[in-house]
Amino acid sequence: MTDQQTMTRPAIGQPAADTAVLTPRARTVLRRWLFWIGAGLVALVIGVLAFAFAGSAAAGGYLDPESAAPQGSMAVAEVLRQQGVTVVVTTSLEDTQQAIQSPDATSLFVYDTDQLLEASQWRTVAGLTHRVIIADAGFVTLRVAAPAVAQAGVVDGTLSADCDLPVVQRAETVTGSGTGFRVVDDAATATACLGSGDGVFSLVEVPRGEGTVAILGATDAVTNEQVVDNGNAAFALGLLGEDETLVWYLPSFADVESTGPATLGELTPPWVTPALSLLVIAVIAAAVWRGRRLGPLVIENLPVTVRASETMQGRARLYERSNARLRALDALRVGSVQRLAATCGLSRLASVDDVIGAVAAATGGQVGAIRGLLVDDIPTTDRDLLALSDALLTLEREVTRALRP
Amino acid sequence: MAVSGWFVLLVAFGVVPIAVSGDPAMFLYWLAFCLVVGFIDLAIAASPRAVRLERDLPSRLRLGETVQSTLLVTNTGRRGMHGLIRDGWPPSAGATPRRTRLAVPAGERRAITTTLTPFRRGERRAAHVTIRSFGPLRLWARQATLSVPGAVLVLPPFNSRKHLPSRLARLRELDGATSVMVRGQGTEFDSLRDYVRGDDVRSIDWRATARRAAASGPGLVVRTWRPERDRRVVIIVDSGRTSAARIDNEPRIDTAFESALLLGALASSAGDRVDLVIFDRRVRARVQGATGAELLSRMVSSMAPVEPELIEMDWSAVPSLVRSVTPHRALVVLATTIDAPGASRGLLSVLPQLTRRHTVVVSSVTDPTVLDATHSRTTRDEVYLAAAAERALLDQERVAAAIRQLGGDVVTGAPQELPPALADRYIALKAAGRL
Repeated sequence: MTDQQTMTRPAIGQPAADTAVLTPRARTVLRRWLFWIGAGLVALVIGVLAFAFAGSAAAGGYLDPESAAPQGSMAVAEVLRQQGVTVVVTTSLEDTQQAIQSPDATSLFVYDTDQLLEASQWRTVAGLTHRVIIADAGFVTLRVAAPAVAQAGVVDGTLSADCDLPVVQRAETVTGSGTGFRVVDDAATATACLGSGDGVFSLVEVPRGEGTVAILGATDAVTNEQVVDNGNAAFALGLLGEDETLVWYLPSFADVESTGPATLGELTPPWVTPALSLLVIAVIAAAVWRGRRLGPLVIENLPVTVRASETMQGRARLYERSNARLRALDALRVGSVQRLAATCGLSRLASVDDVIGAVAAATGGQVGAIRGLLVDDIPTTDRDLLALSDALLTLEREVTRALRP
Repeated sequence: MAVSGWFVLLVAFGVVPIAVSGDPAMFLYWLAFCLVVGFIDLAIAASPRAVRLERDLPSRLRLGETVQSTLLVTNTGRRGMHGLIRDGWPPSAGATPRRTRLAVPAGERRAITTTLTPFRRGERRAAHVTIRSFGPLRLWARQATLSVPGAVLVLPPFNSRKHLPSRLARLRELDGATSVMVRGQGTEFDSLRDYVRGDDVRSIDWRATARRAAASGPGLVVRTWRPERDRRVVIIVDSGRTSAARIDNEPRIDTAFESALLLGALASSAGDRVDLVIFDRRVRARVQGATGAELLSRMVSSMAPVEPELIEMDWSAVPSLVRSVTPHRALVVLATTIDAPGASRGLLSVLPQLTRRHTVVVSSVTDPTVLDATHSRTTRDEVYLAAAAERALLDQERVAAAIRQLGGDVVTGAPQELPPALADRYIALKAAGRL
């Protein structure tokens, strides 16, 4: 029985005997999550390792000495290192200048794949060491570093040794696919090798100052893919391994000199970025401050809310949507007839005809008109319905006024 | 664990040293500084677990009243505690303030007072208490939730008790004033007294007059009557589907409770025995055999936790239920809904069984908006609404007529008017001796 339940229900107005702590201790939480923390760390390590191993093979561009891809040149660089040549890879002119300790004992290999360097920079590059090898030299490069040489289109096929250079002699045959060059200034003392006919050569050496500048067109011979073909290996190692140190310079965006006004990043003081980061952290701390709930939510059993008039409104909308004018009017008429009967003092069981008679007698109206209003008229439009509804109300008022002044 | 606004300010203040020094590395130094200070603050904050909590609150209150709930916090730890405390009352308990500042030195006890103004009937339970204890620098805090169950029973308001004095006065008028009243069945002999001018001559007791004349001299004697006492009143409240509907923002069941309370108070002071059963498909609450002040108190506490159930009322079980309450003739009040003939079929089918033995009154709340809707008919929408309202009134009228035909009595009214109307009907029945 419910009153007994009320009495046996615990702790109504009674102090709690013992206060149990619901929040678990930090240790317990940590132990509970230990597995997932461990699993997350393992997944992270696996991801990092996978990225490290997979990334090395995929990345790297043409003639990149750190790329093991077919287009890279890791093979040549590694063999040179094994042979005792110090291979230094640089990506900016500044680094290159720092890497060259003794210009007389250093070779410089330059491959500017994106034509990033400008004429003034090429002038510097060409004079950095006593031996500069420029792969795939462009128009600007040639004009600055070797004015006597000009580009001569694409070369293909295998080329044979045809000059005195010991490098070429040792190699005997070299894969020639790459670019060809032509010596345009007859007066210049240029050594042109690996000709493919029509005055086109794939290796041209021109003296410059105290050193030499070698323009290399047969670049495919240095790639991992083709270095084992023909005499490519001997050619590449001989060309690049002449000195104790080889600086392998691949110009990057760091060499592009900015022009125009200083950017926003250059104008801002160095402390702005850390200050902004600190403010972001402060905002996160504020989110924790405001977001931390003071205890769990309390469950509220909500009562059922049913508005009693909903069925009435639903029925009204049904009448309206189906244009049930007559049905709606009949409901109004029945209500009116009952009220009129009560007003006229008739019994609840009085017939409609009795009511019509009583109403006609009370108001002095015509029986036909009242009968039409209360029974016979059929509304065809909503306007009719409104008019009849108003007439019913008027009739009720008139009868009330007539009988109860 | 929680952080405070001071900690956020401390972190943000790091902009100053970074800007002054101009050193980007200062960012990391400042963060490390903030973390170290925070951890130190956290380490020396008092433990929110080392407390003993006791509740002190009244067990019951009427809806609309306000009570004080006191929570005694004893700090059993070795460090003084500063922080916030929140008593976990549900929103319907109307607890203010929601959170309170707390400062309890080690080994001492403080009282936290919360004001409760519940806005819904039923049992309101406080689940837990949460304490957030800040360190001495007020930067970081330890937080723990402790289980301290507590509950108050929110009783029905019994607003209709304002009608009680006038109805009691009318009851007293019935008592002993019966010489002007047509006596009928169910009235019983009260006493003999001298005839005074105005008394009904039909109530003169000639035999007593003769006996008196022989003993002490002339003078007419009249018999007086009083309404029969110790009648049975059985109130059945329908807690089924239809009682959940709200009329004037009050569920039907609450109006039924108000009516039952007023009738119970009136009938028990008139000397009748009142029993209450709240029923849908099973008995939700039952008050039987209580009299006087105990009756009302038991009625309100058994009503308090009852909420309408979304199931259909089982009328077929009602006759046996009434029989289980009393084997004698009784006034059976059915507080339910008579809206539509279809929905009331169950009620109408069992009514003959009840009316054969008992006097039956069906009390139902009517929606005043329905009546209002029949009057305003200026637009197309309103005319259709008025038609639907007329149809609803007609349906109610048909059910009421059917109930009357089966020997029952019907009391209807708006939520505010139903309790006094039911009380008046009871007084009328009593005066007519139909109990």
